[in-house]
Amino acid sequence: MDTKSDKKDLEVNVPVEEDIFSRNNKIADQNISMLEKHHVHAIDILGSVGSGKTTLVQNLVRHLKNDYRITAIAGDLTTSIDADRIQEEGAPVVQINTGQECHLDATMIQKVLKTLDLEDQDLILVENVGNLICPSAFQVGAHQRIVVVSTTEGPYMVVKHPHTFMEASVLVVNKIDLAGAMEVDLDKLKRDALQIKPDIKVVFTNGRTGEGIPEFIQALNLPKK
Amino acid sequence: MHEASIAQAIVQTVLSHAEELEAESVKSVEIELGELSFLNDEQVAFWMKLGFENTVAQDAELSIKKTAAEIKCASCSYEGALKVMEDPYNHMKLPSFSCPECGSADIEITQGKGAVVRNIKIIKK
Repeated sequence: MDTKSDKKDLEVNVPVEEDIFSRNNKIADQNISMLEKHHVHAIDILGSVGSGKTTLVQNLVRHLKNDYRITAIAGDLTTSIDADRIQEEGAPVVQINTGQECHLDATMIQKVLKTLDLEDQDLILVENVGNLICPSAFQVGAHQRIVVVSTTEGPYMVVKHPHTFMEASVLVVNKIDLAGAMEVDLDKLKRDALQIKPDIKVVFTNGRTGEGIPEFIQALNLPKK
Repeated sequence: MHEASIAQAIVQTVLSHAEELEAESVKSVEIELGELSFLNDEQVAFWMKLGFENTVAQDAELSIKKTAAEIKCASCSYEGALKVMEDPYNHMKLPSFSCPECGSADIEITQGKGAVVRNIKIIKK
């Protein structure tokens, strides 16, 4: 015990004041600057596994590829299934396999941006890793974030993930054709989202048939070409 | 699930400060996790303890505080706590990203998103 008290005067208080997220946020800001320099708009797409993110990206590419030069960035733990599906629609896709990591971060996106000729791009669609929690905490450096929930995930997806909507501009409620079978009240999901984020735009889609996609595109309010 | 990578970054931050200051050991580490940081304090503590094993910080006392979310309203200049609503349907409290005074959604979140290493105490060699 004596040795401890002897050491007392050697004890030094060190103010660190370092935010662990600030490193990622700085790189995200750099990404935004890189994109803006070349007038490229980027969208970060969040949603659980199976919510329909890839199908919605396919729909966006199909509707927008004549007006915008699009590249998709697909985040996934291991496979290239999503990337292959998007590529079939005629947009180049860069696959990021995160291995074990549950989200994309700004550094991963910056690596991809550096490989692209941004002068040759108008729109970058970032399909994040399927998970509504972790990706919410990490800015990737996009101009807007959209969140996809589907009726098959049940009626509580919005209220269970309130913080996910903190920075979202659009909520897409997908698989509306299955709402009846799932006993999901679409209006209730919309009310939940508007309570949490009063300025969020809510659109209803069926990615399989393309129903609601024009409304989704309108809600994105993309820069005019 | 991302608690492990955040804890790892905290561990690296602490150890690099300790190394720079030629610490014999780290006595305590003070962390603040924001209410909106998507981090669970118990999980962060668990991974930090693992990260500190066999380092100068292995006996460090961890203090993890939660910081509440705060906002600034662009419409009415309100500054303070986020609006919280009672949700009678689901019997829970829900945050609303809007101004509790004027209801505007044009707000800036000024506090509560971070994972901050505030302070460490080291023992000098």
